[in-house]
Amino acid sequence: MTIAFHPDIATLMAFSAGTLEEPYTVVVATHLAMCEACREQVKRTDLIGGALLASEPEAEMVPGALDRLLAAADSDDVAQPIIVPDTGVPAPIAHYLPRGLDGVRWRWSGPGVAVADLPSSSAAKGRLMLLRVEAGRKVPEHGHGGQELTLILQGAYRDRFGRFGAGDIADHDEDVEHQPIAEPGEDCICLVAVDAKLSFRSRLVRTLQPLFGL
Amino acid sequence: MYATIMTEAKSTTGAMPERAEPAELIRRVAERRDKAALSALFVQFAPRIKSMMLRLGVDAAHAEDLAQEAMLSVWRKAHFYSPDKGAASTWIFTIARNLRIDAARRQSNRPYVDLEGIEVESEAPHGHALLEQSQIVARVSKALEVLPEEQREVVRLSFIKEMSQSEIAQRVGIPLGTVKSRLRLAYDRLRPLLEDLH
Repeated sequence: MTIAFHPDIATLMAFSAGTLEEPYTVVVATHLAMCEACREQVKRTDLIGGALLASEPEAEMVPGALDRLLAAADSDDVAQPIIVPDTGVPAPIAHYLPRGLDGVRWRWSGPGVAVADLPSSSAAKGRLMLLRVEAGRKVPEHGHGGQELTLILQGAYRDRFGRFGAGDIADHDEDVEHQPIAEPGEDCICLVAVDAKLSFRSRLVRTLQPLFGL
Repeated sequence: MYATIMTEAKSTTGAMPERAEPAELIRRVAERRDKAALSALFVQFAPRIKSMMLRLGVDAAHAEDLAQEAMLSVWRKAHFYSPDKGAASTWIFTIARNLRIDAARRQSNRPYVDLEGIEVESEAPHGHALLEQSQIVARVSKALEVLPEEQREVVRLSFIKEMSQSEIAQRVGIPLGTVKSRLRLAYDRLRPLLEDLH
């Protein structure tokens, strides 16, 4: 798989630091599962965290803390690797999609466009969803309220930035406007993380669009 | 040369009480279930994990628990670690980071499959000579120190305060785009060193 578009390095640093909101974290993790170059990149950004940890001052542990650990170690088993069932989707999203992309329950979201929300924890800020655009279909031109991360899982689309195929990630800031067109042949399915509040706003805008003839 | 670097490591990171390299200690845990090695790792890392958690505004009891849990994970997962995946301190950092993220999510009472457990195998070449851990730490710490202040600030707020980029923008009073460009500049400066290290 040749991947042409990667997350911004600032996004990967936030992933390493653990400061990306949950939906974005899932999208980045899924990209990492598909992209060797970014796995290498994250090893480097993780090093920053490791160095900072090692140079932390030492906080005082409560008395008996080590004994408590050793007692817990007595009764604790060795961790087993987690076996992720192969449903044809990358491991980080496999548990959302027990029957793969064929089993997704899509919701109509406009001509040729369907979405399916993926559950996040209630603490999560933002929204994680799958977006399906019919082959050959044009997505109405739109801007982004906040950060939008879009990872292509299947098919491909083109916009003014180029061609985005499986494994490519579009890491767009708030001020980016684009009009993706799905390539003919196969429906384009993407994993998308957006800011929840702002996507609500854009839905409102979408609802109002016909009224204002936009 | 080696001695000089060791001295630098001490002055920038504080003296490590245990002489054995953390990677070696983890190997002893994995291969022999060696509790003395686990204890040595605890002495090196638990107080630092706790300190890092306290900085994040985690309360003292929870910070203590997270440090405990992280060390128990080291015990349970030691066989997943290999030195060519990176420095031991980096591995332990990622364990602590993921536990903190998991704990925040668990408060929401929703089941969550942790991402750390499904990390993909790297195809990176194995067995190339690794620097001693203390040298890696010393060199990265030093590189961070010589970053321009404004770049160091966004890196520290990201990794130590664990603030999101929009929180940093608010706190520092700069646009989000500027936070990102400072992080990119910082990374560009660190990159040659980081590439060298793994």
